[in-house]
Amino acid sequence: MTSPVWIRGLNYAYGEGELRRPVLRDVALEIHAGEIVLLTGPSGSGKTTLLTLVGALRAMQEGECQVLGQQLAGATEDQRVLLRRRIGFIFQQHNLLGFLTAQQNVAMSLELDPATTERERLERAGAMLAAVGLGDRLDATPARLSGGQRQRVAVARALAGNPGLILADEPTAALDRVSGQEVVHLLRDLARSRGVPILLVTHDPRILDIADRIIEMEDGRILPGSPLD
Amino acid sequence: MNEMQRLVLPAALPANRPPRLANAWLAARLAWRQLRAERARLWTAIAGVMFACVLVFMQLGFRSALFDSATALPQAMHGELFLVNPMTTAMFKPEQFPRVRAFQTLADPDVAQAVPIYLSFATWRNPETGVRRTIELIGFDTETGAVAFPGLDNVIEALKRPDTIAFDRKSRPEFGNVPRLLAEGGPFEVQIADRRLQLVGLIEIGPSFGADGNAVMSETNFRRIISQRRASNTDLVALRLRSGADIPAVQARLRQLLPRDVAVVTYPELVAWERNYWENATPIGFIFMFGSLMGLVVGMVIVYQILFSDIASHIPEYATLKAMGYAHSYLRRAVMAAALLLAVLGFIPGILTSVGLYHVVAQATFLPLEMDLHRGVTVFGMIFAMCAGAGLLAVRKLRDANPADMF
Ligand SMILES: Nc1ncnc2c1ncn2[C@@H]1O[C@H](COP(=O)(O)OP(=O)(O)OP(=O)(O)O)[C@@H](O)[C@H]1O
Ligand SMILES: [Mg+2]
Repeated sequence: MTSPVWIRGLNYAYGEGELRRPVLRDVALEIHAGEIVLLTGPSGSGKTTLLTLVGALRAMQEGECQVLGQQLAGATEDQRVLLRRRIGFIFQQHNLLGFLTAQQNVAMSLELDPATTERERLERAGAMLAAVGLGDRLDATPARLSGGQRQRVAVARALAGNPGLILADEPTAALDRVSGQEVVHLLRDLARSRGVPILLVTHDPRILDIADRIIEMEDGRILPGSPLD
Repeated sequence: MNEMQRLVLPAALPANRPPRLANAWLAARLAWRQLRAERARLWTAIAGVMFACVLVFMQLGFRSALFDSATALPQAMHGELFLVNPMTTAMFKPEQFPRVRAFQTLADPDVAQAVPIYLSFATWRNPETGVRRTIELIGFDTETGAVAFPGLDNVIEALKRPDTIAFDRKSRPEFGNVPRLLAEGGPFEVQIADRRLQLVGLIEIGPSFGADGNAVMSETNFRRIISQRRASNTDLVALRLRSGADIPAVQARLRQLLPRDVAVVTYPELVAWERNYWENATPIGFIFMFGSLMGLVVGMVIVYQILFSDIASHIPEYATLKAMGYAHSYLRRAVMAAALLLAVLGFIPGILTSVGLYHVVAQATFLPLEMDLHRGVTVFGMIFAMCAGAGLLAVRKLRDANPADMF
């Protein structure tokens, strides 16, 4: 079986012609099943860009990138949309829909599967929220939750669809220290119990303890000292 | 074996719902939840759609009332063929032609009756206030049955007497409350064009944009009132054919027979002639179309604004949905669903308000304003198209929701 993420010779540049600026140079990376990988590095080193490429949010330019068995080099928009359904995303901002309750927000990640019924979706969303400790706040709208609680709803949403991979970009940046810790530990525990690999970008030195492996980037390259697989 | 399949299929169906249909429903539900969350915005949008709806209904109502009332006179005609001066543009200002044309048609074996009809305007003095107004006079041989105004049968005998008229009960109120006077004191004397006449009964025609009130009388009495015009000229001739006659064939023969100073038209052609004047020769039809269009444009702008700001304030959330694997087309469907929901939500109060307004306006103007299914469907189609147009414009804003910018 191939690894959930397998990257070789990945190059990426923003802009055209004169303005073309390479941000990723010859990146190689492999993430194994169930592994939690942290990506750190100075601002502007290309971490987010790498994450959006792995998450199929951006079209590839050069190199090879296989995610959950899908080759992303030359993948169509439709193929990328389908792949995204199998990835759980956690953003710096929670980006929950303000007009939906916590439960409905989590259920949104299940509505893409036509085989589920409304009841199943709500049940699974409820169970997922209970798992992140919000079993009693199912009907609360995001406006009535604290920052940490919102991010926990976002974690529940990312995990509800049983993804094959979790991608997170500075999920603790908008949180205070305590709730930040809570959220990443929750994320780690849930991912561990399901064997889901995580690729998490962070600047936050206080959460490095959750990692199986830490990779450092600088100026679009993965630093030579970093373990590549 | 077949039994088994039949039992299994229905149970299996819900799970295998066509994803497209299920998706459309879920997108519509998402749209509804989003609309519902912003009450003020929702009410503004509904009010906008409702406004457009009422405006269009009123414009179309007036337009059709105009055309209906303008053609009330030709519509009351009983006859298979008619003679009209080809230069006549509308019945309220007919061009005359020699009355002898009527008798010439009798040479055709299929023409049973030729009835000249005389039309003219004169001043009428309100029997209550003495104020003068212009009334349309319609004179013809009342016994021929060539004109069928409701109520005419009751006054045929009375109209045979010299200086008698029957009055249109639907004439505008400025003509005086003739029905009440008649009910209270029986036939009474009125003044038309300085002549004293006996008002003997009521018929029903209805006011049009050309004439506010009407009076009907015999051919002889018409000549006595309008004495200055040439007796040998008429304005319109109704021809009654023998039963079983081939109307187009007779029409063709008469066209051969008669000189070019009269046109031979069928009943539908006569009504269309009149309608055509109001629709095309006056700016009225255009004005109403323009009014409707303005209503739709304003409604569209309002709906567009609402949809646009709804999308604009949810860009990060929409981008997140895209990152979760929702296709662009799904979000587009949600926006279109919101637009069409607004169409329905605005149309319902819109049509109810319009029905009420029709009632009020019909009472005030005596114009025949009525809601009918066809107009309801037409306006719903327009409102639907208006909202769909607004949706299609707003959908472009979705492009800003780019999941790659989310991190
Ligand atoms: N959409 C874009 N268009 C053009 N240039 C971009 C775009 N996004 C990022 N960049 C540039 O690419 C480089 C890498 O950006 P990226 O966001 O990947 O860095 P990062 O490592 O995530 O930084 P940070 O830690 O600040 O989030 C930066 O110099 C940035 O200015
Ligand atoms: Mg970044």
